[in-house]
Amino acid sequence: MSMTKARALILALGVVSTIFVAGPGLADPTGYSLQPNGTTVGFSTDFGKDEITGQFPITSANLKLDFENPGQSTIDVTLNVADANASFPFAAQALKGPKVLNASEFPEITFTSTKIRAEGEGARVEGDITIRGVTKSVVLFAQFWQQKGQAAGDLHLLKIRLTGALMRSDFGATGWSDMVGDEVRLDILALIEQEK
Amino acid sequence: MFFNTHETFGLISRILHWTMALLILSLLALGLTIADMEPSLDSLWLYGLHKSLGFVALILVLLRLVWHRISPPPHPLGDPAALPQRLARGAHRVIYALLVIIPMAGWVGSSATGLDTVLFNTLTLPPIAPVSEAWETTAFTVHWATTWTLMGVLGLHIAGAFARAIKGDNTLERMISGS
Repeated sequence: MSMTKARALILALGVVSTIFVAGPGLADPTGYSLQPNGTTVGFSTDFGKDEITGQFPITSANLKLDFENPGQSTIDVTLNVADANASFPFAAQALKGPKVLNASEFPEITFTSTKIRAEGEGARVEGDITIRGVTKSVVLFAQFWQQKGQAAGDLHLLKIRLTGALMRSDFGATGWSDMVGDEVRLDILALIEQEK
Repeated sequence: MFFNTHETFGLISRILHWTMALLILSLLALGLTIADMEPSLDSLWLYGLHKSLGFVALILVLLRLVWHRISPPPHPLGDPAALPQRLARGAHRVIYALLVIIPMAGWVGSSATGLDTVLFNTLTLPPIAPVSEAWETTAFTVHWATTWTLMGVLGLHIAGAFARAIKGDNTLERMISGS
């Protein structure tokens, strides 16, 4: 999803920031589950003057969020590499092939948060990401929005956007480095609902 | 008219010869272009075109070899034991060998990348090599080296044809008009 589309969507949802302002007590981190319809894990990278974009299906996600004490929050996500798609067929093949993500040997990408803290109007999410069996630290920036029509303190349904970037060469995913950029930008948009 | 005789080139041999001449030059130009360019979405089709035309060239050279069994080409003009005639015969053999090796090396290299080799946006060729960087590098090195060898030998082939034409020999003329 492009930045402008994402922005338009967020505007359409009705932007409500400053959710991290302390509200009436939620003592323990609250479990959230992903709503598949509102969730995309998107990436983009440079291809000459163009971009290759694509998405990974989510195998599982485990979210525990604490808006009063963000440090207590944890995020664990597993992505399905084998069923990833990209903006044109050769890119999808290249992405999953042995020179990039090597999906047959490493069918999953996993992310486990290690440190989450409030920053600006969102949160800084630091964690370990494992790609091609190589684990590296990555920092994502998270923003949260309520859905249109939700009351100020109502956190049962939220849109979360995580953005960040990594260098694919750090993980040995070096195929087509003469044609395709090293920096891979991540743009994850998730609709999450409190577990009951 | 279609068949070769002892003295003349039939239409089929001549069409195959000149179509391949045109194809080889187009493939060289395309190959040099894609080797140098920074790819983007707009230029991706040039790879497909190079592979498509290269496969056509491979089919044509195989057809031509089969055709020579059915309808052998005319005897060379002049003394077959003389040096220019022997050089020409050697050059022809090298050209045929390279015209098979070059597209095959391209096909092997393309297969080794793990990406589909799609002809004319429709037909996907089966891979003929394992997905491997070693295979890819080796095959494209062979593709590159044999292409430049072909260009060298074709230079001699063309120079020979003109040299004969200047001397009043009918060799070039009969590949154009048949006799």
